[in-house]
Amino acid sequence: MQSSHMETNWAEENLQTIRTLMERSALYRRALAPIMIFAGGTDIVAAVAGCLLGFRSAPGFIGYWIGVACFGVAGAFLLVRRQAIKSAEPFWSPPARRVAQAVAPPLTIGFLVGLWVFIACLEPSDIDPPTGMSDDAGTLIWLPAVWALFYGCALHAAGFFTPRGLRLFGWIFITAGIIVFFWLLLTNRQDYPEVSWQASHWLMGVLFGLLQLTYGVYLFLTGEEPNET
Amino acid sequence: MNPEPFLQLDRVIHEKGRLAIMSMLAAAPELSFTELRDALAMTDGNLTTHIRALQQEGYVAVAKSQNNRPLTTCSLTPAGRKAFADYINLLEQIVRQNKGK
Repeated sequence: MQSSHMETNWAEENLQTIRTLMERSALYRRALAPIMIFAGGTDIVAAVAGCLLGFRSAPGFIGYWIGVACFGVAGAFLLVRRQAIKSAEPFWSPPARRVAQAVAPPLTIGFLVGLWVFIACLEPSDIDPPTGMSDDAGTLIWLPAVWALFYGCALHAAGFFTPRGLRLFGWIFITAGIIVFFWLLLTNRQDYPEVSWQASHWLMGVLFGLLQLTYGVYLFLTGEEPNET
Repeated sequence: MNPEPFLQLDRVIHEKGRLAIMSMLAAAPELSFTELRDALAMTDGNLTTHIRALQQEGYVAVAKSQNNRPLTTCSLTPAGRKAFADYINLLEQIVRQNKGK
């Protein structure tokens, strides 16, 4: 009787271990290179377009870049969907669900920070001389760094359910965000009203465009791509 | 208790390290040697030995490719998938049998 009880426990424990190992093994394996190249390219083009189109005001800057982010996310979804269809696999697979759940909190917080600043900038200022002048995007030079921090956290969290290179890339974003943030803070650049409004767009282009494009090209050239399954 | 299911358990898969390898491979189309080694915290030698045993039994296929650097990938063969499914079924049978008592 005792031996059969032990065997049941042993079999149950083994099944649990097998389940855990299978879950851990079911990594999210959609190819990252096209997504990173698309996102990086989009952000570089958006940075140039942002300067050319003259999004000078703080609300204009935030609204513009939230729009670019939505476009990037939609494009990434389409690329993933295309890969899923090509390999005859479900789009919303358990690993895809886990990745989405992992990135959701930091991306939501990043979005909410942007929204909060957007609303704050819309309110009439009672400071003398009043802010809200037409070229105040320069005063938001710190925002790209904060977004980079949250984006890095999202990539790092997703990296637990993907091949591990993404976690390292998340750290690169976090480090870049911290460096830019402290550089601005220590040089008091965010306090200079003469910081050009284009600088914020360029910073977005470098942080999000250049980094993602470089990573995508690196994945493409080295073949360090997860299998397209 | 009916000892049959317990005695039917595949001895090759039953070993702890090999069972872990089979479990990982069962949930992924293929995994690289490095991914398996890191996930299971095994040494290169230990993992090689286990994979060789599974390969000899026809449960695991090993492919080597050269894409800028050598890459060894492992996957379950159809025989391996069937053996693993049978193993799981037997474990579930043991649990059901003893719980039904």
